[in-house]
Amino acid sequence: MSAIEIRSLTKDYGPVLANDDLTFEVEAGEVFGYLGPNGAGKTTTIRTLIGLQSPTAGTATVMGHDVRDEGELIAAKRSIGYLPANPSFDLDATGREVLDLHASIKGDERRAEILEVFDPPIDRPIREYSSGNVQKLGLVQAFMHDPELVVMDEPTSGLDPLMQSRFNEFVRAEKRAGKTIFLSSHVLSEVRRVCDRVGILRDGRLVTVERVESLLDRSGKFVRVRVVGELGADDLDLDGVHDPTANQIEAGPELSGIPDDETITEVTFTFTGDINDLLDRFGGERVLDLDLEEAPLEDVFMRFYGEDPAADRDAGTANPTAVTAEGGDDDA
Amino acid sequence: MLEFARYEGRHRVRGSLIMAGGIAALTALYVWMFPSVEASGVDLDAYVEAFPSALVEAFGIRSLGTIEGFLAAELYAFVWVLLLGLYLAYSAASTVAGEVEDGRMDMRLSLPVSRRRIVGEKFLSLLVPIVVVNVLTPIVVYLGVVLVGESIAPADLVAVHALSIPYLLSCAALGLALSVGVDREGRAQRAALGAIFGLFMIESVVSGTDLEPVGGLSPTRYYEPSAILVDGHYDLSGAAILLGATVAIVLASQWWFARKSLE
Repeated sequence: MSAIEIRSLTKDYGPVLANDDLTFEVEAGEVFGYLGPNGAGKTTTIRTLIGLQSPTAGTATVMGHDVRDEGELIAAKRSIGYLPANPSFDLDATGREVLDLHASIKGDERRAEILEVFDPPIDRPIREYSSGNVQKLGLVQAFMHDPELVVMDEPTSGLDPLMQSRFNEFVRAEKRAGKTIFLSSHVLSEVRRVCDRVGILRDGRLVTVERVESLLDRSGKFVRVRVVGELGADDLDLDGVHDPTANQIEAGPELSGIPDDETITEVTFTFTGDINDLLDRFGGERVLDLDLEEAPLEDVFMRFYGEDPAADRDAGTANPTAVTAEGGDDDA
Repeated sequence: MLEFARYEGRHRVRGSLIMAGGIAALTALYVWMFPSVEASGVDLDAYVEAFPSALVEAFGIRSLGTIEGFLAAELYAFVWVLLLGLYLAYSAASTVAGEVEDGRMDMRLSLPVSRRRIVGEKFLSLLVPIVVVNVLTPIVVYLGVVLVGESIAPADLVAVHALSIPYLLSCAALGLALSVGVDREGRAQRAALGAIFGLFMIESVVSGTDLEPVGGLSPTRYYEPSAILVDGHYDLSGAAILLGATVAIVLASQWWFARKSLE
């Protein structure tokens, strides 16, 4: 059984189509990243999964329970943890009071253990919390009843880098323990460290769902080659070369031994083809230096979204400019 | 059961005690004033006769010359019927709308509980201020009256407080319905204040006119402190109507919230 099953889910806010006929599944035991820029509609999907808002059309199930049926969803919620995008608590209460209230309803088998990982000052009133501490309290309540499925909307926002890496480590351990995690993010480099699969959402539409590795394969390598002689960007007639650039450079100290009158060319491009073809291509050149790096995921992201989101927008789609402008930091 | 009601009720205790303290101080002031008003020899009842009937009706003024009539008009008609009614409607108005607006409701609803239960328990937590003021104030009134050498029937005093509970609950129910129906806390609060004040005014103005039946919509019709304190008349059917209306409005609010899409 899939932990989450989304079927033709549509949410129409009138001026904005926040979720447009989404269909995908999250398997039990996987960590699934729900990616998209702010305003793409991620929060709308997540709040629908928790039963906070009703879909315009289509539906979804969590742990096999239909999200449109409150009674069914209540049964499912016993084994679901949820962290909203901007978790909000009673400011006058202390963290402990909030956790006690949650514990009295859903249990807290793992409270002590999780408080050691994320350690908000639970005896202080929440009014005095920093946003990072509020986020940590949110994480504690999401996991403390040892849920099978945890749904988190931008879980690392507000966490400092140390906490973020602790969070990643924690999520990997939860996965090893067989838990299902569904998390949203607009930062790809964050997601690649923990997710098995990602779904990418743009303007309410699902662009792709795939394994992180294949996304990385498709994203290819970032290549920088320095060769002796003149070479133009057009000379790289090789399958899998994208966005090539070629520049003549000065021989610096690291290139000593090259006569000053010799021309040196630095070529950079993204390469998605076979590495052996690449090596063959430069086999006849005098190669001074060769760098092969994994392409930054932000570049992959840009390929899905394009440099200019307006340029490749499909006709008939909701106006994404309006979504971004109104949405601010929050998703529509 | 009742985890939310207990949690929220606990958070209402401090505010309720502060409010009850303020009301106690005001009560003491009224009781302390009474002997000098009485001793002045002014014919207060003649003075009251000069008032427009709507005003007399609004504040349930019967006889300012007796301690019962004086307290009914000055303390109960004003503080209980108007101020506490407004306070409860206002507090109830922020319960649901406030949490929906700032996102706390998202966190609540992630728990395995029904929306009906959350609304119902939020309403129950409003019993804290209602009970606190209605337990502390009669003690202050009774002791004060005895201290200034007057007397008041204990049964009437208990009744004026006990019968105020259905009235205050109905005001809170009205605020709760607005809290569910209106998405912004501030708007729900203003609507609640307007509704209670408007109903209070309508009941006062229509009294004795052809439109008198319209006043039946106002909860103030069913709770008359002066009738209890001055005449010893307890309107039990009025209390039953208020309780019935409270239950109906709370059930409707629960039904409504259970179906609402929080966007």
